[in-house]
Amino acid sequence: MYQNKSRFAKVLGIASTVFLVIYTIFSVFPLIWMVIISFKSDVDMFKTLFIFKPTLDNFRNVLTTGNYVKAFGDNFIICSGAVLVSVIVGVPAAYALARYNFKRKETVAFTILSFKFAPEILIIIPLFAIFQKLHLYDTYFGMIWIYQFIGLPLLIWVLRGYFEDIPVEMERAAELDGYSWFEVFFKMLIPLIRPGLVAAALLTFIFCWNNFTFGLMLCGFNIQTITVSALTYIATDTIHYGQMAVASLIAIAPEIVLCLCIQKHLVRGLSFGAVKG
Amino acid sequence: MARIRLDHVTKKYGSITALKDVSIDVKDNEFYVIFGPAGAGKTSVLNLIAGISDPEEGDILFDDAYMNYVEPRERDVAMVFENYALYPHKTVYENIASSMRTKKYRQPEEVVDREVKRVAAMMNISELLERKPTQASNGQRQRIALGRALVRNPNVFLMDEPLAHLDAKLRNSMRKELKSMQEAFHTTTIYVTHDYTEAMSLGDRIAVIHEGSICQVGTGNEVYYLPETEFVAKLFGDCEINILKGCVTEEKGRTGIRLPYGEEVYPVPDDVGERLQCAGVKDVDIGFRGWAIDYSREPRKGYVRGKIYTHEPLGNKVELTVSLGDDMIRFIVHVDERFEIDEAIYLHFNMDKGIFFHSETKEYLVRHNEEVMRGGGKNG
Repeated sequence: MYQNKSRFAKVLGIASTVFLVIYTIFSVFPLIWMVIISFKSDVDMFKTLFIFKPTLDNFRNVLTTGNYVKAFGDNFIICSGAVLVSVIVGVPAAYALARYNFKRKETVAFTILSFKFAPEILIIIPLFAIFQKLHLYDTYFGMIWIYQFIGLPLLIWVLRGYFEDIPVEMERAAELDGYSWFEVFFKMLIPLIRPGLVAAALLTFIFCWNNFTFGLMLCGFNIQTITVSALTYIATDTIHYGQMAVASLIAIAPEIVLCLCIQKHLVRGLSFGAVKG
Repeated sequence: MARIRLDHVTKKYGSITALKDVSIDVKDNEFYVIFGPAGAGKTSVLNLIAGISDPEEGDILFDDAYMNYVEPRERDVAMVFENYALYPHKTVYENIASSMRTKKYRQPEEVVDREVKRVAAMMNISELLERKPTQASNGQRQRIALGRALVRNPNVFLMDEPLAHLDAKLRNSMRKELKSMQEAFHTTTIYVTHDYTEAMSLGDRIAVIHEGSICQVGTGNEVYYLPETEFVAKLFGDCEINILKGCVTEEKGRTGIRLPYGEEVYPVPDDVGERLQCAGVKDVDIGFRGWAIDYSREPRKGYVRGKIYTHEPLGNKVELTVSLGDDMIRFIVHVDERFEIDEAIYLHFNMDKGIFFHSETKEYLVRHNEEVMRGGGKNG
């Protein structure tokens, strides 16, 4: 009996390992392929080759001609701005939803969450009209304004949970200790919600960075986001897969760097509350 | 150091009235205990004094200063919260030092260090100073919370059940410690508890609160020996007071009481009789604490027969519950006697130790030697 069981466990172990290996190849291979074709010349592009003469032409083309570098900068400005606005708006909103009792509180909270229900494409035509009317089309302000909606619901809902976990008596205790309300907020509350804040802000940044619809529809010649910029390598006569791969590769670099930097916050921040025990 | 007054204060939370027309007057340097069952409004009183909430009606006064709507941090009060309310991201040292790091109460670094170490030693948490509160046990957290308050020299200490989460042994020793510290405090202290031993041992005066109203304010002896209502009488004492229904009789000028068990009439002391006659009541409720009841294993004159219902050994004593007619009578007996369930036992109620209440209003009427009891009475 005991032997049977151990044999079964062994088989299960092997099976799960095999499955995971296949799954890993399946999910990582596109990325690997992207890295490979970014070094390929156009001649080798459509051949399934793993051994070829690597070239840096694609990198040279992307970085020196066209406006990829500017798009990268634009994207960075818009996303950072959007994250900043999300945090400035979202932290007090989350606090209010966690602490104060007002009429239709849950309705407000749900409405905020419901921003994420509809696909972006659904609202893009009215938004386009509004942006034209208000002269927000193709401006940094307009882009930041629309981008902050992308991550705000997530930020508010994550942080609301964090604030709710902090006993209200702790705030009272700090006030009685002589702290002003702002000091209580910045010295007592912000340190406690920091893991959640970091994780939610990072996710917000990634969602913004990867956004395509808004960048495509609400920007023109002045500003180009990086996702839209990658599209420009689809020319009328040919598709420059190599350059597109380079553009995408560079585009995911900041996300990877950010994630590696705050990896430990990311998992902990979204899974634990602020105050344990 | 201040005299704290609440003047006809009413506090509502939405449609719920937490406090109804409450007035208390806490003298300077007094140790004032607010005692009551759960949900009575004890914490609400503290919140009003601390400024955490504001009353709908009435005034809050510190000495003669009007304190309604004054911000909590301007009131200079130190509070110990029931759930500790420690700052989880700061070390124990920084928790205790926090008030001395604010603009308002800032102290030089050497004073901070000295004071924190002094309080930590007093609270016996010196070895925890570098830890975070999450790494401390509940009892330790409670002492950290106490330390954070005691490090200050405020107008008033507000303590919301600071010993509630300690285990029994630690609670006893902390209570004694608080009592000895109380002398050194020289600060008004308002202490909320639902443990009557804490209330009796610590309080200079005790305010009994029930459903948002103050029932009685008095010294420990007053609330124990001369409770103003049956409710107050029931709150104090280790085994709950036994309330019996009695009928006032008069024979040859002597007032007596007939209990619902048998025809026997028990004479009452003269001072009690007089007062009962004056009040002109026919029916009374009589409260007998455990020590006001004598028992015998053999039938004796003046003793009524009951049956042992439960028998609860508590270490150094045994609590007996005896069923007598429709009533359950609780009292304490010695450990060295053996009792069997359902065994017959004969009880005698000492009228000179009973507390007489009006049978309808449930308010205090009289007891024997009232003045002596007010002064302290004998220990029961």
